[in-house]
Amino acid sequence: MWPKLKSVVLQSLRFKESWVIFFILGIIMMNYPFISIFDKPTFVFHLPLLYLYLQIGWLVSILVIYLFTKANHLPKNQEDKKGEPR
Amino acid sequence: MLSIELVWGVSLLYIALIFLVAYYADQRQKSGRSITANATVYSLSIAVYATSWTFYGSVGKAATTGPDFILTYLGPSLTAFSWWFLLRKIIRVTKENNITSLADFISSRYGKSQWIGALVTLIAVMGIMPYIGLQLKAVSGAFSIITGHPDFHIAFLDKILLPSPHPGLFTALFLGTFSVIFGARHLVSSERHDGLVAAIALESIVKLVAFISAGIFVTYFMFDGFVDIFSRMQLKDPRLTAHLTTFNEYGETSYANLFTMLYLSMGAIMLLPRQFQIMAIENSSEKHISMAMWLFPAYMFLINIFVVPIALGGILSSGSSANADYFVLTLPLQSGHPWLVLLTFLGGFSAATGMLMVESVTISTMLLNHVFMPIIVRLKPRSWFPILLINMKRFGVFVVVLLGYFYQSVVGETYMLVTMGRISFAAAAQFGPALIGGLYWHRGNRIGAITGMFLGFLIWFYTLLLPSFVKSGWWQSDIPAKGLFGLDFLKPTQLFGLTGLDIWSHSVFWSMLFNIGAYLALSIILGQDEREQEQAKRFVDVFEPEKIKMPWETKRLSKPVTILQFVNLMTKFIGETQSHAAISEYLGNREIDSKGGVSEFELPNLKRFIEKTLAGSLGAAAAGAIVESYLSDIGSKMESVYDIFSTVRTSLDQSREALYVRLRASEIMNRSLDLQIIMEDLLELLQKEFKFDLSIIRLVDEHGILTVRCYRSTGSQQITGHSWQPEIDTHIGEAFLGNRAEFVNDTQYLTKPKSKEIMELEGIRSFAHIPIASEGEPPMGILSVFSKSIVGLFTEPFLQLLGSLAGQLAQAVKIVSEREAKEMERLQKEAAQLENARVLRDMEIAKQIQLSLLPASFPDLPGVRFACRCVPAAHVGGDYYDFFLREENNIDMIIADVSGHSVGAALIMVETRSVLRAQVHSTTSCTDILTVLNDLLYEDLTRAELFITMFYANYNAESRILNYANAGHNPPILLRRGKSSCTELDAEGLILGVNRAVSFEGKSVQLQQGDLVLFYTDGITEAQSVTGELFGTGRLCTVLTEVFEDEPQKIIDRLLKEITEYTSSNLLQDDISMVVMKVN
Repeated sequence: MWPKLKSVVLQSLRFKESWVIFFILGIIMMNYPFISIFDKPTFVFHLPLLYLYLQIGWLVSILVIYLFTKANHLPKNQEDKKGEPR
Repeated sequence: MLSIELVWGVSLLYIALIFLVAYYADQRQKSGRSITANATVYSLSIAVYATSWTFYGSVGKAATTGPDFILTYLGPSLTAFSWWFLLRKIIRVTKENNITSLADFISSRYGKSQWIGALVTLIAVMGIMPYIGLQLKAVSGAFSIITGHPDFHIAFLDKILLPSPHPGLFTALFLGTFSVIFGARHLVSSERHDGLVAAIALESIVKLVAFISAGIFVTYFMFDGFVDIFSRMQLKDPRLTAHLTTFNEYGETSYANLFTMLYLSMGAIMLLPRQFQIMAIENSSEKHISMAMWLFPAYMFLINIFVVPIALGGILSSGSSANADYFVLTLPLQSGHPWLVLLTFLGGFSAATGMLMVESVTISTMLLNHVFMPIIVRLKPRSWFPILLINMKRFGVFVVVLLGYFYQSVVGETYMLVTMGRISFAAAAQFGPALIGGLYWHRGNRIGAITGMFLGFLIWFYTLLLPSFVKSGWWQSDIPAKGLFGLDFLKPTQLFGLTGLDIWSHSVFWSMLFNIGAYLALSIILGQDEREQEQAKRFVDVFEPEKIKMPWETKRLSKPVTILQFVNLMTKFIGETQSHAAISEYLGNREIDSKGGVSEFELPNLKRFIEKTLAGSLGAAAAGAIVESYLSDIGSKMESVYDIFSTVRTSLDQSREALYVRLRASEIMNRSLDLQIIMEDLLELLQKEFKFDLSIIRLVDEHGILTVRCYRSTGSQQITGHSWQPEIDTHIGEAFLGNRAEFVNDTQYLTKPKSKEIMELEGIRSFAHIPIASEGEPPMGILSVFSKSIVGLFTEPFLQLLGSLAGQLAQAVKIVSEREAKEMERLQKEAAQLENARVLRDMEIAKQIQLSLLPASFPDLPGVRFACRCVPAAHVGGDYYDFFLREENNIDMIIADVSGHSVGAALIMVETRSVLRAQVHSTTSCTDILTVLNDLLYEDLTRAELFITMFYANYNAESRILNYANAGHNPPILLRRGKSSCTELDAEGLILGVNRAVSFEGKSVQLQQGDLVLFYTDGITEAQSVTGELFGTGRLCTVLTEVFEDEPQKIIDRLLKEITEYTSSNLLQDDISMVVMKVN
């Protein structure tokens, strides 16, 4: 009983926080000064660095959200009663 | 170039297809099998975010300033992270409150304020103006590029209509009509528009397919893929390439601008009125959010993937970035692919019409509910209102589109598409603080929101919209150059001397600073009224419904309204079918009283439901205003219930106060056993705590009348003079007979004439009668409380409190009356005992007197000796014996027995003795005496229902002759010397008191020496043994034979001993008397 409860609590805690963390991370990565790392007129794989960075970053963020929503639907039986966001 | 007819034809066919899809979706919705209620359609419909701006403008932006175009789409992708929290909350609030639009949402949150609704609508209309202008410009621009004619153009109209063509006017009229038909078909706005959503989703697919087709064509057919385009660009113009692929320090691609654009677009995805409409109001299930969270960003990613290649490809093939907005059309056109051009045109057309449809639906709803409605609700509701309302909605759509046309014709040539759109984004951002703050911050208040938004809007207008008018040359002014009133620090683009920022960052900085600042500051400084607090709870605590619901009602309607009245009101605005359906859903299994109303405590709930239902069509603010004004028309209004504890408290404190009063009451009950003191103290407590003007305790008396037992009053009154027979025609009677609290919160609306008269006379405004009854028992009285000043005093919890006090009082009354009953019983017992003792004493005296009336001994005559004894069974008895000496040797002897052993028998015996003594000397024979006695006593005996047996004898000592007569008495026993058998001295004669005329037989017997005669009463022969056997004359005779030789006294003692032994008890059932006579 206890280990199960513990894992549920941990899981939901981790979940809510990581959600916020990724949101903030996205904002940081899209802003000065972080973005200035990639804001250079150089080419990587024959493509502009910033263009590549933005496109790949975008794809990754979509993937992350996708994984989040999958995980969100996974433990349906453990969803709490209030319907609070986890 | 394509022919006008072809473009027209294909466009019309496409519109027909959209209508068909919408119609099909509507039909499916009606039959309950919605095709749009799924996550994919929901995600696609959110893509209405991608308008002509995306379709044409992004390429233009990418070809002129570089990578900053992408921020408009990255922002929403980032926002999508928050949807599971933020959007879900918005949707929940929207559904629970029947929200119809963004303006309705914000106005509902801030106490259903009509001003806020109107302000949000104003900002939305003004703010959206450039955005709609953008769509018109894009469509008419695209049309002119592919056909070579300006505007959406019909050839024959040129000849009859305006001599100088207005670019874009036809497009505006065309799209306006389209939007009216599409968006403003129904009045109800809170319900989902399935047809609209289906059309939007279809258009999202079309624009994505069209753009990607164009992208693939440019990238892979005109050029050799991404790498090829970038390499050629780098080769052709390295400086331009660097400019287009990096952010810069200054201008439109500076980091400050990057920051601004990111936040504007992050906000826009939630705050644009049409996004709100699609995401919140058209949402069918909260579950769809999680798919939309990744599918929508993916859509944005896909539609942007070819933007840069097309932009660079356009520059490469045309040599410059002039007219870059339409590269997506011109590239296929120049390379001779008309079908691809047509597809791309349809894609752009879809992007524009999709936006226009949703925008016009939501803006017209806002206009109707927040601008027109506030005026309409002041008018008297009429039956044609629904028709008027729907037409006003349509009119609103046209106004919005024409405003867009106006802006486009003024500014269109000066700005690029994206620039126009960004002005709208900056306007939408003004809703942000009020919306987000309203969802998460309880204290955010109406004044703060309204001031913040207004200031933000002003600054937006002054720093963005105004310069755009001036820049276009439509309005000649030197304000941008010199500042307002020539004040340098009021320059629109360098407000308060702030320089170095692009116009967006500058405008957003100042407007948001003032917006957020005013919102926070005023919210903190000023408070909220009750209605705002209630609404704030509904929004902020939407996931915790138990927090929203008050434990009890804090409002009441001053005059009751019936259900029918409410239904009639609703019918005037939303039609009969809908209002009837709504009300029957509400009523369900609720109780309705005989007058067709719900209980007074249910009324505020009903009122809220009516408001909510109306809000679904008219918006919360207008619905609130309609209901309020209707109520005030019929003379009723919503008012706070009177706070009985006279301070503002939370529910928890209030129950603590109630607990205090209960505690005090129970102290009072326990302090005294005197009911009068208890009642007086209780009324004192009520008076002190609740400021009643009059309080009365009536208890029902033994005749069933409610009698005033105690009262407290602040002035003179006559009510306490009344004692009521409990009858149904008074409230007090109803309370008593029904055993439930009767209350009237406003005596103005009393229906019982008798009560009304009394209350008017006394000037009483509200009152309540609470039955004084223990649980499950009939009431024993009524506690009545009256107020002369407060209307609406009696709330559910207050009545509960009074009820519990009355219950406590009932216990006290019960205890006291039980105690009194016990006391009474004890006293009665004592009195009875006393009485008994007195009677016993009297009986003892009577017994003594009676015994003293019997002779203790007989005189000794010569030759004869006597002995006598009487043993009474009760205290007094009816036995009697006596003697009278006539001469020296002549004696009369009597033995008699009055029937029964009562006092009556004793009295008759005394009377008999008196009569006998009076008559004995006037008569001579035994028979005469008996006859006279019978005659004299007959009446008394008959009346007393008694009778007497009597044996009368006369003995002459000289002749030894015994004369005798008998009136039904036991014959005496004669025992002669030498003979062992007994002789009974019997003579004929009836018992005295049976007949008036009786003749008695006189007999005589010659006694000899040694003879023994025993006179006795039936107590001897009828003495019973334990087995019930009688003593009998035989046994008596045997005993007499044994004691024949003894002295008379000894004979008596022996006889008594024998009898006592025989009955084996000391108690005799009957008196025993005997006289023994022995002749010597």
